[in-house]
Amino acid sequence: MDMLELRGIDKVYRSRGNAPVHAVRALDMAVEKGEIVALLGSSGCGKTSTLRMIAGFEDVSAGSIALGGRRIHELPPARRKVAMAFEGYSLYPPLTVRENIAFALKSAQLPRAEVTRRVDEIARLVEIEDILDSYPRAISGGQQQRVSLARALVRDADLYLLDEPMGQLEPQLRAVLRGRIKSLLAERGMTAIFVTHDQTEASALADRIAVMEGGVLQQFASEKELKGRPANLFVASFIGEPPMNLLDAGVTRSDGGFRLSVGTDMAFDVNGAGLDSEAASALAGTPQVRIGIRPQKIAVGTGDVRVKVVSNQWLGDQSHVAGDCNGRMLIAVTPGRVAARPGDIVPFALEPRHLHIFGNDGTCIRHAEVS
Amino acid sequence: MEHSSLAGRIFRGVALTLILIFFMFPIVWIFLMSFQTNEQILRIPPRILFEPTFANYEALISGQLRTAAGNLQISFMRNLFNSVVLSSAAVLLALLLGVPAAYAFARFKFRLGESIAFTLLSFRFAPPLLVLLPLSLYYQELGLNDTYFGIVWVYQLIALPLILWIVRGYFEDISPDIEHAYRLAGHSWREAFTRIAVPLAGPGIAAAGLLSFIFCWNNFVFALILASADKQPVTVGALAFVTASGIQYGQIAAAIVLSVTPTLLLALYAQRYLVEGLSLGAVKG
Amino acid sequence: MARLEINAVSKAFGAARPADGLSLAVEPGEIVAVFGPSGSGKTVLLRMIAGMFEPDDGDILVGGRSVVGAPPERRGIGMAFQNFALFPHMTARDNIASGLRASGSEVASRVAAISKLLKIEHVLGHAPRELSNGQKQRTALARALIGNPDVLLLDDPLRNVDAKLRYEMRLELPNLLRRGTAAVLYVTQDYREAMAIADRLAVLIDGRFAQVATPADIYAQPASVAIARLFGDPTINLAEVSPVAEHGMLSAMVAGARMRLGAADGAASPGSCWLGVRPEDLAVSSASGDGAIPARILAITPMHEKAVLLLRLADGTEWLAALPPDAPQGAADDSVFVRFASDAAMLFDRATGLRIGPTHRLKAA
Repeated sequence: MDMLELRGIDKVYRSRGNAPVHAVRALDMAVEKGEIVALLGSSGCGKTSTLRMIAGFEDVSAGSIALGGRRIHELPPARRKVAMAFEGYSLYPPLTVRENIAFALKSAQLPRAEVTRRVDEIARLVEIEDILDSYPRAISGGQQQRVSLARALVRDADLYLLDEPMGQLEPQLRAVLRGRIKSLLAERGMTAIFVTHDQTEASALADRIAVMEGGVLQQFASEKELKGRPANLFVASFIGEPPMNLLDAGVTRSDGGFRLSVGTDMAFDVNGAGLDSEAASALAGTPQVRIGIRPQKIAVGTGDVRVKVVSNQWLGDQSHVAGDCNGRMLIAVTPGRVAARPGDIVPFALEPRHLHIFGNDGTCIRHAEVS
Repeated sequence: MEHSSLAGRIFRGVALTLILIFFMFPIVWIFLMSFQTNEQILRIPPRILFEPTFANYEALISGQLRTAAGNLQISFMRNLFNSVVLSSAAVLLALLLGVPAAYAFARFKFRLGESIAFTLLSFRFAPPLLVLLPLSLYYQELGLNDTYFGIVWVYQLIALPLILWIVRGYFEDISPDIEHAYRLAGHSWREAFTRIAVPLAGPGIAAAGLLSFIFCWNNFVFALILASADKQPVTVGALAFVTASGIQYGQIAAAIVLSVTPTLLLALYAQRYLVEGLSLGAVKG
Repeated sequence: MARLEINAVSKAFGAARPADGLSLAVEPGEIVAVFGPSGSGKTVLLRMIAGMFEPDDGDILVGGRSVVGAPPERRGIGMAFQNFALFPHMTARDNIASGLRASGSEVASRVAAISKLLKIEHVLGHAPRELSNGQKQRTALARALIGNPDVLLLDDPLRNVDAKLRYEMRLELPNLLRRGTAAVLYVTQDYREAMAIADRLAVLIDGRFAQVATPADIYAQPASVAIARLFGDPTINLAEVSPVAEHGMLSAMVAGARMRLGAADGAASPGSCWLGVRPEDLAVSSASGDGAIPARILAITPMHEKAVLLLRLADGTEWLAALPPDAPQGAADDSVFVRFASDAAMLFDRATGLRIGPTHRLKAA
């Protein structure tokens, strides 16, 4: 069953003297019960507006929001049964960390022993047991963020909203906390939506990721789907670290398929048998396409594309090799160390089956084959 | 919330109008009074419609005050001139002294720094009357009584703390890194001060200057005690309108209009500098 | 051509000692990244070199000449700030040109050259508030580079730009910085950025250089457990162990399983230790057997094209394993067995945190 349903949501900010800002456009989205969803995008893409409309801090300009079958978009925030962790933490300064976390539970008139038990439990999870009696001003930004997270997660709510939940955490703790929070949410069947600009965070925590840009939902799918079958050029170039290599290619017919040529250095034969009819007709109808290949799919040291190494960076667990091929930059990522130095000529292998093909309007013509 | 009901919007409009009328009424009324004779003003009930007269302004400018008891000499224009000279000189001096001092207080920590800054501010706490008696005795000793310099100096008690504290805040808001960057680019600290810090604190300096100009302009008691007739500003000069044959409301209104005009014009002119982006966006955040 | 040399520099602010006997030399044309956790003293060090405040003790030399006491404008230093610190009332062009004391035509040609290099020619007429964060950062870099300084200080310059741009700059910057002959000191909080950009890394912890070495050396042979924890994402896994030496081999019990830890260095057992194993060096399978630690998968979180498994070992310790995406992973709540090769194990002394073991090759500052 859909726990949360956003239908036709629009958000327009009007301020006198300025042109209206259309922050969110015709957003349709359904979140299942127990699902963890990330709203991912760069700043100004509409993700925070969306979260704030669900929480009730902003009105919707058009559309409706339903949570657990109740229409909530006209209710005040307190009656929507949502819990939220704010990006700016918003802890109550005169209360201790423990009192901050317990605040909503006490308001709900839970027995004292129960409140203590739940606060202790969540504090252990986010590793703040030792600062429970401190005041917010006496603890670090990373600790405040964990308190804010605990204060939201300790509540009973139909939906948990987290705004950049881990942005301030030390990297050493981040990976562990992601795992723990994911397991807590899954164990209790909690439904959660979080906003982030960091795709590592989105893919680590979320079951599905909603990629937003310019107020428009670009694609709403699992991380695997976003990477393997990006809906358009934006998603393809936005998702993935480092970003997908993109090249302009000319299209010509060849026996049994198409030949995609990048300048005079690279040519890829795409077998017509592997194409569905729609893709085939799209390719037949255009002289020019954009092709993309993930850096992880380029093999270094074999193949027939010769590049001049621009940089070769070893990051401890992987090498990032940037190579120049007649003015086109290609980036390859391999798990091992590569001996090449800047200026060396090395071969890169790009296989046709790993190519994503996009039309000039950005729509996807063909995805890479799943390896 | 941006969706408010029609009733709400109407209510807001009405409320705003009422408040506007409440605040603007005295000013409008005085403006109207300045074009009426004393008799018209004192008529009961008062009338909105009347035949305007420029007699009040003529009297002020010519210095001839005609009352029922006869002609009186007044030196209103002289007073106005004094106000301009005294206030401008005081603000100029306070800016020359106060802006560098504000910079020092904002950027450097030095011994007794906070105490000095606070002492300067505390001049604003004491009622002026408290310091007037010793001050006038000192002034007599020093021969500063009834000199422009003496009055400008005492106006520093008003202007300097104001400028110091307002401008200091503006300097503190400028990221020191901006000045560091300018110095690393090969410029001395003096250049960093004049080319970076002062222009960036410009709106604050303008605001502080304007505010202290208004405070100086409106000062009454220092000039009353320390200046004789030919050095008095308008605030003191206005006393002349309380004559033996009654209070000259028309002339007072005209005098108010004339004496408010310079500060009003200054404020209107400076407004765009005051509002102009303090958030210039050079530093992230 | 000038070498930057820092000799036993110390600085205290009250009880805090952000610099405690720091020594480092940066050759002309070399990029040294100063890397450390927040509050470790990185920014203080840069600011002492730039002359924003003076060290309490020690000396700073640029090209063999002490600059301590000299005003910032006479030190031959260019600097890019984390918050950009552009002059808001000047255009990008004037911002960049402020670093030059030269005649009009020369200024114009040099501004044109540097802005072409940094791809900001089209925004030279804009005020800083009209620039995107990426353009601001490039303008700030151009301003620092244009005077051909002897020493270039970069204070976390990529902190405030978005991920995509940060990645591009990570590839571009080393080449850009090596065009000149400046000695470059690059401060960052991101270990990947430090490893990607620098020739050498200086790891700063609590006001001291804990290790100065090439990125690869530091990753493979961290001098202490604190350094090991700073490099790697996810972070290195740790367990308390008491290794024993048998037939020249060290081994120890880890969560109920006997694990081989490589060749013993001499006959003596090292005593109580921290065992460190990097997440990418762990193998996870459903097959039990010798040298396999029983564990349960708590959660699987994809990260950097890998699957990161949060594991709870039999004794309750939480470890992370980073597996290639195509490796079989299992699912949350599965019981699995964890293995690692003996040469992937690092041992650190429990009391001092210092690394021990046969590959011990500590190059202290």
